[in-house]
Amino acid sequence: MRKTLAWIMGAGSFLGLASSTLANGWNMPAGVTDVSREIYSLHMTIFWICVVIGIVVFGVMFYSLFRYRRSRGAKSANFHENTSVEVVWTAVPLLILVGMALPATATLKRMYDASEADLDVMVTGQQWRWHYEYLGENVSFTSSLSTPRSQINGEEEKGENYLLDVDQPLVLPVGRKVRFLMTSDDVIHSWWVPDLAVKQDSIPGFVNENWVRIEEPGIYRGQCAELCGKDHAFMPVVVRALEGDEFDSWLAERRKEAEAEASGVDREWSMDELMERGEQVYGAICATCHQPDGSGAEPTFPALAGNEALLNDRDRHIDVVLNGVSGTPMAAFRSNLNPVELAAVITYERNAWGNESGDVVQPSEIQALLEQ
Amino acid sequence: MWEVIKSVLAAFFGVQKERQRQHDFQHGKPGAFIAVGIVMAAVLVMLVAAVAIMAAR
Amino acid sequence: MASNLPPKPTLEHSTTTSGGLAHEHHERPRGMLRWLLTTNHKEIGTLYLIFSLTMFFIGGIFALVVRAELFQPGLQLVQPEFFNQMTTMHGLIMVFGAVMPAFVGLANWMVPLQVGAPDMALPRLNNFSFWLLPVAFTLLLSTLLMPGGGPNFGWTFYAPLSTTYAPPSTTFFILSLHMAGISSILGAINIIATILNLRAPGMRLMDMPLFVWTWLITAFLLIAVMPILAGVITMMLMDINFGTSFFNAAGGGDPVLFQHLFWFFGHPEVYIMILPAFGIVSAIIPTFARKPLFGYASMVYATASIAILSFLVWAHHMFVVGLPLVAELFFMFTTMLIAVPTGVKVFNWIATLFQGSITFETAMLFALAFVVLFSIGGFSGLMLAIAPADFQYHDTYFVVAHFHYVLVPGAIFAIMAGVYYWLPKWTGHYPDERLGRWHFWMSVIGVNLTFFPMHFSGLAGMPRRIPDYALQFADFNMVSSVGALMFGVSQLLFVWGVIKCVRGGEKAPAKAWEGAEDLEWSVPSPAPLHTFDTPPDFKPVTH
Repeated sequence: MRKTLAWIMGAGSFLGLASSTLANGWNMPAGVTDVSREIYSLHMTIFWICVVIGIVVFGVMFYSLFRYRRSRGAKSANFHENTSVEVVWTAVPLLILVGMALPATATLKRMYDASEADLDVMVTGQQWRWHYEYLGENVSFTSSLSTPRSQINGEEEKGENYLLDVDQPLVLPVGRKVRFLMTSDDVIHSWWVPDLAVKQDSIPGFVNENWVRIEEPGIYRGQCAELCGKDHAFMPVVVRALEGDEFDSWLAERRKEAEAEASGVDREWSMDELMERGEQVYGAICATCHQPDGSGAEPTFPALAGNEALLNDRDRHIDVVLNGVSGTPMAAFRSNLNPVELAAVITYERNAWGNESGDVVQPSEIQALLEQ
Repeated sequence: MWEVIKSVLAAFFGVQKERQRQHDFQHGKPGAFIAVGIVMAAVLVMLVAAVAIMAAR
Repeated sequence: MASNLPPKPTLEHSTTTSGGLAHEHHERPRGMLRWLLTTNHKEIGTLYLIFSLTMFFIGGIFALVVRAELFQPGLQLVQPEFFNQMTTMHGLIMVFGAVMPAFVGLANWMVPLQVGAPDMALPRLNNFSFWLLPVAFTLLLSTLLMPGGGPNFGWTFYAPLSTTYAPPSTTFFILSLHMAGISSILGAINIIATILNLRAPGMRLMDMPLFVWTWLITAFLLIAVMPILAGVITMMLMDINFGTSFFNAAGGGDPVLFQHLFWFFGHPEVYIMILPAFGIVSAIIPTFARKPLFGYASMVYATASIAILSFLVWAHHMFVVGLPLVAELFFMFTTMLIAVPTGVKVFNWIATLFQGSITFETAMLFALAFVVLFSIGGFSGLMLAIAPADFQYHDTYFVVAHFHYVLVPGAIFAIMAGVYYWLPKWTGHYPDERLGRWHFWMSVIGVNLTFFPMHFSGLAGMPRRIPDYALQFADFNMVSSVGALMFGVSQLLFVWGVIKCVRGGEKAPAKAWEGAEDLEWSVPSPAPLHTFDTPPDFKPVTH
């Protein structure tokens, strides 16, 4: 008797918990696009269908467990077939599923229509950051985690957007159709922002499409969803949605900065300038694998500090940074970084942490190599 | 032949009368049921594929 | 509560067939050698079950390391590199080392007894397939101590993370998986040969107990898909060591091809881990409801359709890799279709309970919890089938909740139910009901505390396989970790209960459960080493 009650209460508490998913922070966000709201309503529809089926099925089950207990003197019947009942309970789920498949198909078709976009953004996954390029606008940048290591290691109190903050968010316009072209430089990543209902794998050698039309300005946060190595938990996605005109002036500003940077290729850079710039680039790009102090993580990621092979062969060092090392995690950076950044980071690596080669690599030299 | 197809269809749906099953087991040839079963499985796949192709238009 | 249980059948009112009288053929080796050289299906079954239990605890400890790190946000106990090795090893050990060998162990013990065969059809092969496993898993576990660590790319080992970017130990991982795969294929061949050739005279296929039926179908699935796994890991081996580029885009290869191959193996694999569970539950529920299984034939049909459809749904694991629209629709429709036969099974079990005469022995408790909790896993599976919604669910804790519901209170509860159900046959003693109930309730509460909150953290946006997470997921994770510890500790009660039952307890007669009908209950308890030396007299029960 007590057992049956416990059973019933157990089932009740499941359903209670299930329905409280409606509360905020327990459920899928409805999001800020048409598509995300359609997905949310599909999710809630199938959820309630499951709840109703669950109540009926478990209801009959617990009734039977209660009513036909041997301790209550139940004598067992001997039936073991009933064709019409079996036909009904096979056909009804089939019909429910057909009913569910129709709206799901319609939504899926909308999600797959990435045509007539107002803006194309190339999203490239890299271990462990995102690179964004506004196609045809000459604007591109890398976006990496900005939560300090001290918060992760518990030496400092964790901030409000712990693990969900980046140095440079992806900026997008509200009300325009933005097409994403997703790819990857190394392993498979997956770009996901729940409020936009966009989750798409970024795969090396492939370009995947997805799109979004954001309706409200704001900041939307997400994360890499596909296991991509040790810092998989530490490559968040942050999207800042601006009104159309604000976005246009932001983009114009960035374009101007990019032009200024490009003009720096031709001039002669001093050692100090290169070292300063190189430290920034190294911290944002290289330090996750080769460590901030250049000590690496053997056997996969070689140490750079005190690395004889690196110090003795300047040309090979440049080649490795530009073209990567095939068969290892070392990626080619020739198209991800501009000549100034490449020259600076190579100079930095040859002169930091007790590496005293004294070598200076000028952006013009890299530019010449890239044009070969 | 029609009997075999009907029985295979019933098996796909998962419901069959005990009497009919006994009849099939005593009088039917297993080879026929297996052959029809394979063909029908292929038909089912093509059917779902056709629906998917039509829905994707 | 104990007073509600029926009196156990007395020793007198069960007779044993002549087949139960064992006679020793020859002098047997003793000590370790006896276990190393045994070709007896019962001894090999026991070896499989002990191996599986050991792996269950090793995989469980890995899971507890994961849950301990996730108890709070921030990195406290382990570094991400080691965390990834723990999630990966947990998955590999539980799938290939715990669940699959447990079912093979149960099949070894019970299939010959249920079909009235004297042993497995290929006893020496049986010995070989078992002893491959300890070698394979020792090798796999040893990779944790190698430079660069063990596998760290998830149990699904997607390329190129598992090839170009993998630690050097990956080659050993491939070798160990090859060995485990060979073991599975040989085991499957043995089971098929036994079922098709050694059934008692007069037992037709449609007279077989459902555990035998589900295992027959599972064995065909194993033979169909394990070679695909072998193929895909061999391609990885070539990519890593011999300079090929099957999965390396830079060399003209295709990382998505890996996923197609893996899931063409992986989805039937999911059913390999659940179909025998259906068979066990289909034996236990009729026994303790004292009523024949409802819809025996439709159970067989449903098992077969699930098996066939399991080859047509693999890409539902890949809804966000950028499949063409037609493929998304096809796999969404087939995935929805597979829910129907699964539903039919649940309805059949409930119809079996209806108007029965039900008692709640530990085996029955686990079987009933299986029906409820597996169904919850089925519901979340139905939600995941909706491709547009899967763009939000994919690779989140919602998926983790889903597959743990079908595997832990699904497959593992069914295995435990089977153990409690057949222990009297194996040991000659009834398991301690009081201890069993403690184990049951601790497990049920632990499992739900662990996995139910994962639905919420997943929907709220927490990705899988991360060692650290944003602050809004903290409460859910804390509850999950507490539940995991509770579930883990409660398994010690299981071990205690089993040991206690082996060493003594209330004596069980041949037919240990009043409502049990199958052939295994016609031999004495404990079953002698050799049974059915002469085929039993089989009379079909009407199904």
